[in-house]
Amino acid sequence: MKRIFPLLLAIVALTILMALWVPQGRFLTASNLLDLAQQIAVNAILAFGLTLVILIGGIDLSVGAVVALVGTIAVAVLASAGWIVALAAGLAAAAVFGLVNGWCAANTRMPPFIITLAMMLVARGFALRFNEGRPLPIPDTERVFLALGNARLFDLIPVPVLLMLGAFLLMALLLHRTAFGQHLYAMGGNREAARFTGIRLARNEVTVYVLCSVLAGLAGIIHASQLYSAEPGSGQGFELNAIAAVVVGGTSFTGGTGTLPGTLLGAVIIGILDKGLNQAGVHFSLQYVIKGLVILAAVYLDVRRRHSN
Amino acid sequence: MTATLATSAPVPGSKPVLLRLQGLTKHFGGVRALDGVDFELRAGEIHALLGENGAGKSTLIKILGGIHRPDAGTIQLDGQPVVIREVAEADRHGIRLIHQELSLAPNLSVAENLFLGREPRWHGWLDRRRLFADAERLVRALGLADIGSVHAQVSDLSVARQQMVEIARALAVRARLLVLDEPTASLSATETEALFDTLRRLRTQGTGIVYISHRLEEIRRLADRITVLRDGRSMGTQHVAEVEPRTLIRWMVGRDLGLLCQRPAWRPGALALSVRDLRSARVRGVSFDLHAGEVLGLAGLVGAGRSELAHALFGIAPADSGTITIGGRPVTIRCPADALAAGLVLVPEDRKREGLVMDAAVAFNLTLPWTRDWIRGCRPDGARRDGIVRRAIESFAIRVADPGQPTYHLSGGNQQKVVVARWMEHPPKVLILDEPTRGVDVGAREELFALLRRWVEGGLAVLLISSDLPEVMGLSHRLALYRDGRIVRELPAADATPEDVMAELTRTE
Repeated sequence: MKRIFPLLLAIVALTILMALWVPQGRFLTASNLLDLAQQIAVNAILAFGLTLVILIGGIDLSVGAVVALVGTIAVAVLASAGWIVALAAGLAAAAVFGLVNGWCAANTRMPPFIITLAMMLVARGFALRFNEGRPLPIPDTERVFLALGNARLFDLIPVPVLLMLGAFLLMALLLHRTAFGQHLYAMGGNREAARFTGIRLARNEVTVYVLCSVLAGLAGIIHASQLYSAEPGSGQGFELNAIAAVVVGGTSFTGGTGTLPGTLLGAVIIGILDKGLNQAGVHFSLQYVIKGLVILAAVYLDVRRRHSN
Repeated sequence: MTATLATSAPVPGSKPVLLRLQGLTKHFGGVRALDGVDFELRAGEIHALLGENGAGKSTLIKILGGIHRPDAGTIQLDGQPVVIREVAEADRHGIRLIHQELSLAPNLSVAENLFLGREPRWHGWLDRRRLFADAERLVRALGLADIGSVHAQVSDLSVARQQMVEIARALAVRARLLVLDEPTASLSATETEALFDTLRRLRTQGTGIVYISHRLEEIRRLADRITVLRDGRSMGTQHVAEVEPRTLIRWMVGRDLGLLCQRPAWRPGALALSVRDLRSARVRGVSFDLHAGEVLGLAGLVGAGRSELAHALFGIAPADSGTITIGGRPVTIRCPADALAAGLVLVPEDRKREGLVMDAAVAFNLTLPWTRDWIRGCRPDGARRDGIVRRAIESFAIRVADPGQPTYHLSGGNQQKVVVARWMEHPPKVLILDEPTRGVDVGAREELFALLRRWVEGGLAVLLISSDLPEVMGLSHRLALYRDGRIVRELPAADATPEDVMAELTRTE
């Protein structure tokens, strides 16, 4: 709770700022906030998986490329085999990437940064194999697939937000309510101590990378659906935005500290910045600068607080 | 114990006094680490400082090195009173500490390390040619040619050579007073000899050396005089030639020896652990039996490969061949989880690195092995968790204000209790303790041993690994003397004498 409170405070402050800044009070309306939630969904889902990875002292740079790859695979399969097979194929491809990432991280001495950087290129390359790298449109007849990114429950709550909340609940339970979650904290806090306690490091590590990749796959499906097409070149830089959400949410890069609610709030903060600055009419070049400085400040404050105790 | 050493030992020759400490006192919180210690070091003397963990040795040398400041007492160098406020000041006075953990940059070459922070420059640019030439000259002038090429990367050197680099660096800045803290802890016998040759040469050149070691045999061969510290007080100073090792051991361990001799009652039960011809990279064919209710002491010097045996048994570095039988059932141990399932627990040597998540709460560490007991599926049971924590804290008398407190707040002794206590929630058949009292104060050690006695008398089988002779001899029923990856001799502990054991352990083949 000590960690969550400053984040809530930041969200309130940012919301007030944007409500005053964005002309004609267009920021603080129900429909705008629902839009905001919908836009946060993809980044938040990526950030949930990355939270586990970063918590155990790893990193996964491949999630952005996996978003593109899973989107293209799913849409490519969609026409011939229907949406169920499409989703299964997409998520299975994601799981394979997670397996490779996790196996290499657990069983070789290669640093995760390099492993996942390489797998990012591999995933991007595979994605660009489809349709010569040009977008694959999703036919309007694919109602279910398009609903995943665009429909609204009761004409109100966007489906991506529901999927995000579902992913959040599942991952939060896993991290904060299971022995597996406890073991991840131990691995991040002191990997050797975890080993000497009999915790199965390799198995847990592979699981974490697979979870991260599969969540990236889910994000990829939502993303493609939102775009009404699979774009092999999409998802560039998604990993960085997700990492930003994770660290703003209080997860430490040295491993061992961080919570899933923190990450959710981190994603909200990044989302408010993205949308609010845009609506306030800030030049896009300046948006980058401001976002960068906010991330720097957030992490600085977090580190300082942690070392004052 | 009424005996003390002669309070003022005769002066060795007519060498001038380099360092004189008088009435040095230092408190940490309520703990008195040093209590009016006097100490004298002459130029060209190797002066051994002896004492158990927590006797005040490291506080004393940290004061010399400018890391701590004394609460009371004076420091004189060459008869002049000095105040050492910081490490740089100690450097200026020519005092250099050489710790167990070396402070070299492993990724740089020998030459770069020797001149770290004062590299030769040419108009502001690093002059690499002169750097290597100067290093070469320095090493030869100091008679440390054994280091080998100054181009070699430090991480490629043996620990012994790294130590020589460290010494060379100290002497390069004109150190006149070297403090070596357990320098031979991880050296082989030949490496130790090379180090001794270096130190003897420095002695003839007039360097004053304070030498800290637990190894009496070494000290007898190397040092001129000995000062024994116990519980923060100096027990006096004596010439090496005039003091019996047996006496020395008694002065060092003092009242502890009596207590340690209370080994658990020996009522060996069924065979708990049986190992036959176990081999791995550094374990060279080990066989032994351990019964329920028995303590087998694995005595050996650091570097003999005892931890490697423990790691092979626990599945950290699984054995290549050999058989392990636990409770009569042959087991294959490929990872720690296998060992735990078979009923074998290892409490590792380095509790900070291998034992505990130091930033996490005490309760987190206590419950970590039993997460599946108190979390069923995704339903953590707070009451069950608190029960585990409470039982551990109560039965081991762990002094902690709040189990939610981060573990690094605890004293070394209480941290060690946490590492041991957490396994006793479901006691294993076999408990391997690797150096269980390193950095543990006397009081906590007594408590740990008392608890251990109770567990053993209740049928626990313990393999005790320790380089602390009085401890391993006093607590074990049988001793296995371990050297170079092998058990070289097994004998009932009651029949062993420290001198015999030490002689066997230090023998080189």
